[in-house]
Amino acid sequence: MSDEKQRVTLTINGQPVSAEIEPRLLLVHFIREVANLTGTHIGCDTTSCGACAVLLNGVPAKSCTMFAVQADGANISTVEGLEQGGVLHPVQEGFFQEHGLQCGFCTPGMMMTAVAFLERNPNPTDGEIRQAISGNLCRCTGYVNIVKSIQYAAARMREQQAAPAMATAGAEATQ
Amino acid sequence: MTTPAQTLGGMGHSVKRKEDPRFLRGKGRYIDDIKLPGMIYMDIVRSPYAHANITKIDASKALALPGVLAVITGKDLDAAGLAWMPTLMSDKQMVLPVDRVVYQAQEVAAVIATERYIAADGVQLVEVEYDPLPPVVDPFKALEPDAPLVRPDREQKNNHIWHWEAGDAAQTDAAFASAEVVVKEDLYIPRIHVCSIETCGCVASFDKVEGKLTIYMTTQAPHAIRTVYSLVTGIPENKIRVISPDIGGGFGGKVPVYPGYVIASVASIQTGLPVKWIEDRSENIQADSFARDYHITAELAADKDGTMKALRVKTLADHGAFDAAANPSKFPAGLFSVVTGSYNLQAAHVEVDGVYTNKPSGGVAYRCSFRVTEAVHTIERMVDVLAQKLGVDPADLRMKNFIQPESFPYKSPTGWEYDSGNYPAALQKAMAKIGYADLRREQAEKRARGELMGIGISTFTEIVGAGPSHTFDILGIKMFDSCEIRVHPTGSAIVRIGVQTQGQGHETTFAQIVAEELGLPVENITVEHGDTDTAPYGLGTYASRSTPTAGAATAVASRKIREKAKNIAAHLLEANPDDIEWSDYKFQVKGAPGRSVTMKDIAFAAYTNHPQGMEAGLEAVDYYDPPNLTFPFGAYICVVDIDRGTGAVKIRRFVAVDDCGNIINPMIVEGQIHGGLTMGMAPALLEGISYDENGNMQQGTFMEYLLPTAMETPVWETDKTVTPSPHHPFGAKGVGESATVGAPPAVVNAVVDALAHVGVTHIDIPMTPWKVYELLEAHGLAEG
Amino acid sequence: MALHFEGTQQIKAPIEKVWQFVLDPNKVAECAPGFKSMEILADDHFKPTLAVGIGAVKATFTLDVQLEDVQPQTHAAMRGRGNAAGSAVDMKAAMDLTPVSADETTMAWTADVNVSGVIASVGARLMEGTAHKLTAQFFDCFRQKLEAPEEAEQPTETEAPETSGT
Repeated sequence: MSDEKQRVTLTINGQPVSAEIEPRLLLVHFIREVANLTGTHIGCDTTSCGACAVLLNGVPAKSCTMFAVQADGANISTVEGLEQGGVLHPVQEGFFQEHGLQCGFCTPGMMMTAVAFLERNPNPTDGEIRQAISGNLCRCTGYVNIVKSIQYAAARMREQQAAPAMATAGAEATQ
Repeated sequence: MTTPAQTLGGMGHSVKRKEDPRFLRGKGRYIDDIKLPGMIYMDIVRSPYAHANITKIDASKALALPGVLAVITGKDLDAAGLAWMPTLMSDKQMVLPVDRVVYQAQEVAAVIATERYIAADGVQLVEVEYDPLPPVVDPFKALEPDAPLVRPDREQKNNHIWHWEAGDAAQTDAAFASAEVVVKEDLYIPRIHVCSIETCGCVASFDKVEGKLTIYMTTQAPHAIRTVYSLVTGIPENKIRVISPDIGGGFGGKVPVYPGYVIASVASIQTGLPVKWIEDRSENIQADSFARDYHITAELAADKDGTMKALRVKTLADHGAFDAAANPSKFPAGLFSVVTGSYNLQAAHVEVDGVYTNKPSGGVAYRCSFRVTEAVHTIERMVDVLAQKLGVDPADLRMKNFIQPESFPYKSPTGWEYDSGNYPAALQKAMAKIGYADLRREQAEKRARGELMGIGISTFTEIVGAGPSHTFDILGIKMFDSCEIRVHPTGSAIVRIGVQTQGQGHETTFAQIVAEELGLPVENITVEHGDTDTAPYGLGTYASRSTPTAGAATAVASRKIREKAKNIAAHLLEANPDDIEWSDYKFQVKGAPGRSVTMKDIAFAAYTNHPQGMEAGLEAVDYYDPPNLTFPFGAYICVVDIDRGTGAVKIRRFVAVDDCGNIINPMIVEGQIHGGLTMGMAPALLEGISYDENGNMQQGTFMEYLLPTAMETPVWETDKTVTPSPHHPFGAKGVGESATVGAPPAVVNAVVDALAHVGVTHIDIPMTPWKVYELLEAHGLAEG
Repeated sequence: MALHFEGTQQIKAPIEKVWQFVLDPNKVAECAPGFKSMEILADDHFKPTLAVGIGAVKATFTLDVQLEDVQPQTHAAMRGRGNAAGSAVDMKAAMDLTPVSADETTMAWTADVNVSGVIASVGARLMEGTAHKLTAQFFDCFRQKLEAPEEAEQPTETEAPETSGT
């Protein structure tokens, strides 16, 4: 066991972040305090609440239960990376339209879990959504509107997937 | 072309929230997001024992660790007269103990260090020697003559804190004596913890040059904190600034002044550096303010025909080691005396005795509306117990005994004046929506096949909006609330209020009130709160008081502006002010609607073209003293199925019909109900805190203390009736806690109903699968 | 959380040897789970430091152990109190020896342990199982050392078996 610092480089939302850190520094603290991205939150100390969920190489991970050194070289996505070019991600739009947040503290972790889930399951049932977010605790909303928010996002994302195909079909039709 | 009302986003519109843009982008500013230059960190050494003398604290190893700047003990605070602080109930509480600990996880010393992890390392290195004392954990045993004394600092050398009564004992005794039927039950509502997803914390920053203490704090009541701080430290209030940043859920758990806040402030004053303290989840559960822990014996007297006559309630309130419940000062048992509920009883007598035990302090920190959860649980259970005894349908029994709509304002046997209500309409709506008659038929069929299905009703009356100055105060400060509005020349406005949102959407709803009253678009109205340097004095947000008090102040301040605006309108329209009327969000000349001006026109004129002799500007302040509380109500119906092999209770359907008077934002109200129902189901089925004989808490982390996830939570079905409050400026009542109050007894009533045919009359919460299974076994219903 | 244990061990060693072993804190320390170091204050008063893990919680306890009621070759009892950051333990234990034959001894023992603090709150459900496991480890080690053929004197500062709790 060494107390010596290690140099790590993590790519967070597409930007490399390098630092010399103690091996015991939690990934969530690296994100919040070294990379200064405070959207990822800490809600418990037993890996139970999911407020710290980020995407690690595309897979949801509870960043409070990893050391930053374990994520050396990895691609991390946090809530700050969802909005692209001034346009909200469909999941963010869904939470806004369907009142999927109240105090907002669980929301980043909830949304990151939803983003990864919808990429695997673009047409989910409400039950499948509930199962997917069962590792994210919310005390404010009672989950009903969170499920609606994620369904809203799913529908939007399906539309967006269909749109390029329609454009191609349209182009073919006019040839 | 949209109507003016739709573009304004005033009352009744489901305006999308103005606070969402920052939360959705991860740009919220919660307490642990705050970083100040030079900031250092604090962590806390806590007692493993529930009751012990401290024989030695050796901080030498901690102080030798590079990065540790100081270790603060009770002796250090005692030298500054700060080892004890007043509680909101005029008791006192240790900030840090000088020689004795009185609950497990109590703060014993604080380590200040340059970095968060080093402060935690330092805590591991502080060596504390204890001489354990026998703890008292059972409140009944605490009242026995030879019980360990929790508070030797008090003059009264026993564990009894206070005795409180409401109602009329003689009248109640007489009603019981002449009653044909009496039912009696013991109910225990266990201790629970609200566990908002964000824990508590602060950043205390003392500026030595200015002599000013700025403290960012997870607090639901920043002004009250500032005043208490000033009284305790002697620092004048203009040199104390309390700032509530974004708060990740409060629910009452962020009202008390926790020792951590005070120690961090002292550390900052000593070092002149900002000191951050953020508690862990296990610290939050084990040491912070709890809720409930009421041991209740209730009796309900009635005639054979089901007419309810009188209610008698005796309660033992387990308050932990200090009486630090955040109740209004004349109400040590909160508003528990609303326990006569929605029914027209002739008489009632309520007694509560508070007791000290070796547990953390608190009492009202879980969305309980000042003990109304306990009151409603009691009456709604007793009504079902009576129905079961008489062999009548619980819906019929309620309908028969409701306070009728024409009886309002209604004076209850314990002295409350209910402002308005229509209980039969709410229950009828709920029964229609859930298909009550069909459910009873289904239940009969299932019962014949041995399947356990239950239907539970809760028709509750809430009591919120503390409160009128003749009755309500906290540490002497009256419970008014406030609003200050300033309208700018180009027609936008900044509104500052004395309450403090923790997720309820005030930045949206209060802007909507002003939009409605002044005819300005909601997106041009900014709501600010939480900074005691700028917000007008208020008592904060808890017990569903914001809309009843600060909401009213906002309307009244708006109307003061409208009064001035009318005179400017008269000037602009060259008419007599008496001929000007406010209609369709415009000022117009009576009888000549073509001659009108908007508030936007008036705002500009207030700075550029106001009448001679009138002050420029367009602003107002109001401090609102509510004439009464408001009484939201509801009818909830819960359907459960019980698994005979596991004892698991599944909520198949839950219909909630709520009435909170006129609604500002239906989307936000519905969200509050969803969240409240979930926090009502949780104590009924999942959550409960217990202590072993050594005073060890047995649910100290989220591994043992189970919050409902999306899997356990049913799809809530909501609806409403609207019975405005006659005394509120826009007829609104509070609503934030209605569902937490009304839901638990609906769930219990459903489970008992499922087992009533084998003689079960009551089950205490939480109704965990194991508890239910044991009951099934005892009644020969268990399978497998 | 109050735990009570008791048990009986049959040790294939003469009673004098067992008694000597039991009264030698260094020998006993060799078998103590998570043993790290010890301060010997007197023949009957020692302060061992043990690292113990239960579930997610690992704590380093410094115990203050006092022997009492020592009846040679027959009976001994001890009291101990220990602290770790956030946790505390209070214990009483007693042991009785009876000879079975010249080469076999029966040791009957009881222990009462009161645990407080983080370890009791967080580790509560795992406590009994872990305690049983650690106790079994201890006595197995005890018996093995006593039943081993005679060896040259070992230095007293030996490596104790590392324990990882659960």
